[in-house]
Amino acid sequence: MTYLNQVFAMAGKDLRSELRTKEALNASLSFAVVILLLFSFVVDPDSEMLEQMSGGLLWMVFAFSGTLILNRGFARELPNDCLDALIASPIPGSALFLGKAMANFVLIAIIEAICFPVFGILYNLTWTTQLPVLMGVSALATWAMATLGTMFGALTVNMQLRELMLPMLIYPMLIPALMAAMQLTTLLIAGQPIDAEHIIWLRVLVAFDIIFTALAAVLVETVLVG
Amino acid sequence: MDQRNFEYMFYGLAAAWTILCLYSLLLTSRGRKIQAEIEHLKRMLEASPKK
Amino acid sequence: MRDKIIFGAGIFAALYFIRNLYVILLQLPDEAMQGAVYRIFFFHLPPYFAAVFCFLGAAIASGMYLKTKRWHYDVFAVSATEVGLALAAINLVTGMIWGRQQWGIWWTWDARLTSALITWLIYLGYLMLREGIKDPSERAKNSAVLSIFAFFAVYFTYKANEWYRTQHPGPVLTIRTGKNTIDPAMQAMLFHNLFAFLLLTVVLVAVRMRLEDSQRAVESLRRRAHAVA
Repeated sequence: MTYLNQVFAMAGKDLRSELRTKEALNASLSFAVVILLLFSFVVDPDSEMLEQMSGGLLWMVFAFSGTLILNRGFARELPNDCLDALIASPIPGSALFLGKAMANFVLIAIIEAICFPVFGILYNLTWTTQLPVLMGVSALATWAMATLGTMFGALTVNMQLRELMLPMLIYPMLIPALMAAMQLTTLLIAGQPIDAEHIIWLRVLVAFDIIFTALAAVLVETVLVG
Repeated sequence: MDQRNFEYMFYGLAAAWTILCLYSLLLTSRGRKIQAEIEHLKRMLEASPKK
Repeated sequence: MRDKIIFGAGIFAALYFIRNLYVILLQLPDEAMQGAVYRIFFFHLPPYFAAVFCFLGAAIASGMYLKTKRWHYDVFAVSATEVGLALAAINLVTGMIWGRQQWGIWWTWDARLTSALITWLIYLGYLMLREGIKDPSERAKNSAVLSIFAFFAVYFTYKANEWYRTQHPGPVLTIRTGKNTIDPAMQAMLFHNLFAFLLLTVVLVAVRMRLEDSQRAVESLRRRAHAVA
């Protein structure tokens, strides 16, 4: 098997097992909708304010519900010692990591794909004007969440307080990526293109993705094997 | 020395030294606790017969 | 021998601080605009630099640990991080007190303030991760990885926030600004206090490392006790 095949095999396995039970996906999705609903009490749903806050609100939802999915990423392998079997299997740690990160990416993207229209309907916003760019930005920010989340999922998988430690560790580190995503999403939902002033945020996202993916791919072998 | 804003200067310096002192105290108290535990464990190990 | 050196360095740092305080409080002129309160700065910037050295040292030691798997590096990494957190706390608190007086507010979401707070939280997470892992070698390995990630994240956060918004006063040291905007006596004092803080940092890290060594001893004794009993 080539390296890419190994990555896709890993991602496929994770996605299949998740989509069969949908345990993380269902929980995460209903959680996301509940938070979306709660926001109508935070800010007057019909006001201008909402549009200016839309990026921030949405990415808060994705960050919160995303950790539910990220938590399951490695925890899914704990019963029956599946993790040990995976580590013993003849694929490099980085392929295992990239596969898992891709699976997490797809799952969070599903949440987002559902939340965007729900958000638009509930709060009467036309959010599709810049759809292709918005999808690109969301993909970059989601990948940032997926890499860091998968990496720290590996770090915390054997801990008792796993569910609590993961968000506690990744939220502060994700701040640059989330900040960039919030800025750009607000801009794009308002229907404006990314101008010279905001291009810097796109760079932040791309740089964040590259640096942390590379760092994680190098270090994950040590985390898993020791 | 100028008396302007003297109060806040005092608060600032006091805060800095308080944090340092608290941290030093924390270190010494942890050290004592660990020393006591080492003594305790050593005595326990000496008392129990080796197998 | 090691204890004596630590003790001697501690005494020297204490004397140095007394000398610095004497100069800061009784000899330096007042700042034209701020009056007495600018003296907080001597306890604001130096601990920050010392904390950055600590975190940098921890990241390097963590990398060395992953490479060599020698306990000593892990002991150094955790000690430096903890001391760095204490120093960063001094930096944050003194800054807040200065801000209350000068800006009229305790806190503002300015670039440097925000990134300093995020840094603090990230390294707090490091200590919490250590608390949560029982197995010593897994604890050392995982926290070493986290420390390396944390250092990159801190740099990134700082950069991203710098582009975002800035209210914090800009650099004052001549090496940063390239101009002589600061009174030479004040600048000299800054370096004196920086040196004093670095010395104190070395002492604290050494003490903390000794503590960690005893902690290890306790853990191995406990394991032996379990084996016997």
